[in-house]
Amino acid sequence: MKLIKKLTVIAASVLAIGATSASADKLDKIISKGKIKCGVVLDFPPMGYRDAKNQPAGFDVEYCKDLSKALGVKLELKSMSFAQRIPALNAGKVDVVIGSTSDTLERAKSAGFTMPYFVFKLQAMVKKDSGIKTFEDLKGKKVTAALSTTPETEFLKNQKANGWNASDYFSSKKESDTHLALLQGKADALITTDTTIVELLKLPKYKDYEAGPFVPGFQDFVSIIVKRTEYGMINYMNLFIHQQVRSGRYKELNKMFYGNSPVRKLTIDGIYY
Amino acid sequence: MFEFDYTFHWVTVWNVFPEMLSAAVVTLEVAVTSMFFGLIIAVFLSLGKDSKNELLSTPSVVWIELARNTPALFQIYMMYFGLGAFGIHLSPYVAVLAALTFNNAGYLAETLRGGFASIPNTQMSASRSLGMSKLQTYWYIILPQVLRKVYHPMTNQMIWAILMTSLGTLVGMLELTGKTDQLQSLSFRTFEFYLVTAIMYFVIAKTVLLGSKLLAYKIFRGDAQ
Repeated sequence: MKLIKKLTVIAASVLAIGATSASADKLDKIISKGKIKCGVVLDFPPMGYRDAKNQPAGFDVEYCKDLSKALGVKLELKSMSFAQRIPALNAGKVDVVIGSTSDTLERAKSAGFTMPYFVFKLQAMVKKDSGIKTFEDLKGKKVTAALSTTPETEFLKNQKANGWNASDYFSSKKESDTHLALLQGKADALITTDTTIVELLKLPKYKDYEAGPFVPGFQDFVSIIVKRTEYGMINYMNLFIHQQVRSGRYKELNKMFYGNSPVRKLTIDGIYY
Repeated sequence: MFEFDYTFHWVTVWNVFPEMLSAAVVTLEVAVTSMFFGLIIAVFLSLGKDSKNELLSTPSVVWIELARNTPALFQIYMMYFGLGAFGIHLSPYVAVLAALTFNNAGYLAETLRGGFASIPNTQMSASRSLGMSKLQTYWYIILPQVLRKVYHPMTNQMIWAILMTSLGTLVGMLELTGKTDQLQSLSFRTFEFYLVTAIMYFVIAKTVLLGSKLLAYKIFRGDAQ
């Protein structure tokens, strides 16, 4: 009987240890598994794209690599669309998404946002002879943006505030579809991030196009996201972003993907974050 | 391992539920309109395919083959960006309507053809020998039988048309799926939104099915199950 009792105690303690480790947080799990699954969006150059060899490349991909190096684990990149970011996190298909996610308060009810790791301005891209110089010139013009993105949301907000005709706007499913719509003349202007426009204008097929007016009064701060409940991960990611800037890596990557354009400040005056 | 921990925020969905309902109306509208025009075109296509005149039969055969053997998603894309390459700009709504009409017409044409082919020619001679005119034979003998044969496949196509409208999102059309996509991206409440949308599609499809069964009972006096 004694033996059975002892065995029971041993079994119980093993189970207890097991139970404790089962409640380990995401950060522990990643470290003990030795692998991090990092979600990136690859139709958003130069943040994420496929290079000439069809390999994932871009600012976000580099950040994933740096992160896995910092954690000392292997990296598994998962390519996804903007719309898949949150379901992928919630279903545990990825541990973290480095995918230019705009940090709205509404979204922060559903996902865990880190401090900003990049900032965009939203801008229109138009044909050189379109006569669109100011944001107000977009009134009555056919405008498109990618469905379910911040450029779309912000443009619609402005359109509504200015009382413009809602039917002049149309959504495109993907970022690349907005480019096609502009080239085909379905749209007079597309709204996207300023950095995307710089990339597009490098291509010969856009030689008749130029960067147009900015969406007024808006800076698009984007964050890395994890599950809302994973505080350990959020803390780690915040420090990671901080260290990327301190170590000069942020500047280095800015140079690599944005050439000589100035390094963007990740803070706004008067307040931290 | 099972990693699903998620707290549902239903209130986020209810706040925008009216918007989802009006998007569902757009879905139904496109499906019904594309079925209506699809059916009219299908009559001509099925007659055209059986025609001995190649000028009539070739376009019908090409239409039916393309509509039935290429993905609907591709057809919608071609109507929007494909025609766009030639400077013909359809709005997302019209492009989706045109593509679904194209698709429905192709399938319905084959359904109709099958229905007519299943009626033996001898019925025509039999009723003519009883003194009925050709038109009378069609109206009283052939059509009622054809209708029984094609009614249920047509209901199927109707359901399929409703579900196909969700592909409209591909060209930025804000039907039920597109609207849901847009709404969920504002709040990231993915599971709530997609669950409600799935239920809405289910209810729409089931209602249409039920309606068609009642209608079948009425017109076939209950003998067509």
